[in-house]
Amino acid sequence: MASDSIFENFVSSQGYALFESTGADEFRPIGEWPPWCRTMWGAEAKDNNAIRLGEKSSFLDNFLYDAEEFWKSGKTGSVNSGNWIEADETGGSTPLEASALSLDGKHILIIRNLSSTFAEQQEWFQTARDSLLSHERLLREILKKEILLHCIVHDLSQPLSAMRGCFHLLSLEPLSPGLKKYVKSGEREAQRQEMMIRGILEAFSTDLAAQQTVNKEHTDAPDLAACAKQSVEAFETAFGDRGIKLRVDSAVKLSANWRVVGEASRLDRIFGNLLENSMRYSPKGSTVTIGVHDQGEFVLATVDDQGPGLPADVPQNQLFALFARGKSHAGKAGLGLYFCKITVERWGGTIGAETRAEGGSRFWFRLPRAGAEEKGDAASKSPEPEKHAATKHPAHAKATKGLHILVADDAELNRELVIELLERRGYTAVGVSDGKKALAALDHGHFDAVLMDEEMPHMTGVEATRAIREREKGGTKHQFIIGITGNAAFEDERRLLEAGMDAFLTKPVHMQKLYQTVELAAHKSTAPVTETSPHISVLPPTPAAPVLAPNLIVGAVANPTPTEYPAAESSTADLRAHLSQMTDGNEKLARSLVKTFLADAPKTFAQIRKAVAQKNAKKLGGAAHLLKGSIAIFGATKAVAAAQSLQNMGRSGHIRTAASALRALESEFKSLDRELRALYATDQPKKSAPRRAKSPAAARKSKPRKKP
Amino acid sequence: MLGSFSVGKSSLVRRFVESIFDEKYHTTIGVKVDKKVVQASGEEVTLVLWDIHGEDIYQKMRMNYLRGMSGYLLVIDGTRRQTLIDALSLNERVVKEIGPVPAVLVLNKSDLIDQWEIDDAQQAKLAKDGWKIVKTSARSGEAVEDVFLQLAKAILAT
Repeated sequence: MASDSIFENFVSSQGYALFESTGADEFRPIGEWPPWCRTMWGAEAKDNNAIRLGEKSSFLDNFLYDAEEFWKSGKTGSVNSGNWIEADETGGSTPLEASALSLDGKHILIIRNLSSTFAEQQEWFQTARDSLLSHERLLREILKKEILLHCIVHDLSQPLSAMRGCFHLLSLEPLSPGLKKYVKSGEREAQRQEMMIRGILEAFSTDLAAQQTVNKEHTDAPDLAACAKQSVEAFETAFGDRGIKLRVDSAVKLSANWRVVGEASRLDRIFGNLLENSMRYSPKGSTVTIGVHDQGEFVLATVDDQGPGLPADVPQNQLFALFARGKSHAGKAGLGLYFCKITVERWGGTIGAETRAEGGSRFWFRLPRAGAEEKGDAASKSPEPEKHAATKHPAHAKATKGLHILVADDAELNRELVIELLERRGYTAVGVSDGKKALAALDHGHFDAVLMDEEMPHMTGVEATRAIREREKGGTKHQFIIGITGNAAFEDERRLLEAGMDAFLTKPVHMQKLYQTVELAAHKSTAPVTETSPHISVLPPTPAAPVLAPNLIVGAVANPTPTEYPAAESSTADLRAHLSQMTDGNEKLARSLVKTFLADAPKTFAQIRKAVAQKNAKKLGGAAHLLKGSIAIFGATKAVAAAQSLQNMGRSGHIRTAASALRALESEFKSLDRELRALYATDQPKKSAPRRAKSPAAARKSKPRKKP
Repeated sequence: MLGSFSVGKSSLVRRFVESIFDEKYHTTIGVKVDKKVVQASGEEVTLVLWDIHGEDIYQKMRMNYLRGMSGYLLVIDGTRRQTLIDALSLNERVVKEIGPVPAVLVLNKSDLIDQWEIDDAQQAKLAKDGWKIVKTSARSGEAVEDVFLQLAKAILAT
């Protein structure tokens, strides 16, 4: 009995009140009532009589229902009420928690006073919820800034788009050589302005990878050997101070053509990072040598040192990872080699490092030759002229005749536009709407290239590409596949290329880049396919874009491309100019695209609305993707951004803010719809009775097809 | 009192029961039960108010709490659109669990109307969907008494 008393006193001192159910909703206290119990439940507690707890506390009354169920069930363990705050008759309140369990056939109710721990728990929850509120406020601020940023970009790019459209229209007119010069000059200045806009976006970007997004236009392709020489000149003093000799390998013929895909200032940074790295590990009296080597369609750059070789504590594949450093931490933040990697890969190249057999380490990177795309120039200077003679710069070359292209895209508008542009170039093209159909088409016919949309229903472009590559295993055939994607981030590029695609284009597909890439396919199909068959990325001029974590995606634009998405919201004149540029001046095609869009896009928008209402993230992602692709053709920057935002939400499953994003899209969509209707109205034939414009598909049906 | 965290459920109860408003946000853990006697439809009615913690990633609401519930106020913070979405989602679960009972949609924080993210069109849509909507401010006391009385009357009318 004494031990029972000790136990009961201990339990009571710990803030517990124990009761045994006596039936008829009454409970007999086990041991003495704790003081807090007396305060709360009054007179009955004084004599330790049985008490109807349910009458004393409505919360307990509710919980006792669960307790009774539990006791009847005969289950082991216990059932818990969760916390509640019980007010007492003096105006005070006590945090409590109740549990019901069975012991030796007795129905036991334990009520615990949480006062000793509640404040701490409360503080924890308070901090957590304050943080959630701060997070919500931050998201709203980000959204505001995103909108502001894109408004700025939009406003800056709006007149530029109009100018570019006008220049393009002018260039289609018969002009005197003098005027042509002015038009060219205007186009060049417009391009400069694009660079400035891109600079603004880069300045706002916070993601390093996005900051390194580069222009893939190679009008001023840098000379790798010249860059190497400049880097040596820039670093030889620093090396000399440490007693290290720095030189370009004397075997490098500086006068040869070493032009590569890339951009000179960033190429200098790559050399600079590699040289800084080698300087840190090179002993006094050693030599660091830069080599430049011809590898056919690629140029290989090497930086050889005579140091200890690669660090043993860092796996080779992590040398170029973000923030990777050796244990010695001789380097800085671990960004230098990462920058080199993302930049080189962004240009379609590769990078690596190895310990040299003769001692020291070699860091190397390989870049595609830029000269391969330029007629004449490459042929005259390239070490392997026969490999370059077949390729032509699209701006100057005639089409490669007889190409037969398969276009797989679920967005009819995009599909029809691409097919029409290909046919205007003199090719034949077949359209399918998903990856499965693409595989079926390849089973029944030969295609020089496949333009494969990344995201399609039933089977995505990535899945279809993998299936095609699987089929090719063990054989000699290599189907040239060009991915089409609305996403131009580095990871997207990597994903497509890793799936087995040979090149990719970003939406909206730009005419000249389309021709350039397809004609590259014609060239590749004549070249033997090797394990290291190069991947070519053909990107439109794409500024860096903010990359946000899924739960931070509120109004982010993955690919806000002022160059490619001029302001369709501005006026019908701008829109007309843009469409003219997109369709190479084909007004009939432009009108047809508008009509198809006006007929189909509202249905897709309705699907988005429904998906948001039903909180169906998957459907939201798919429908938003589809609409984004269609809108992009008309260059509606803000509408594309809104659709992109919804697509991101759908894909990530984080659709908390989908309703607000939907409203943003609705507003932009209506604006575009209005502009397009205005354009369409003004484009009606004036002298004849209104006629129903043919869709691109219908137009093609009525004209003879060229045989492949 | 149902709704997301920090929409003002406890503040509404405190304003109604004690005529007090605290500017500082005090999160609720678990359930706090209060009582108030009111005159509604000519009758004296004791309202037993269960102020249930707001749902978030840390705490989910136990549906057991709703057993025996006569009606509820679904509280929304007008300055946070997401709380409307969460409230409507919660409401679906409540109706599924206990069936239809009288309810009033409370758009709280009307004193911050210039910061509201729930516009007239959305409110009209909610009304069209059958919601009885009352805009309140626990800070100023606007319509606080009224919203509880409306609920009491609706309960008595069932």
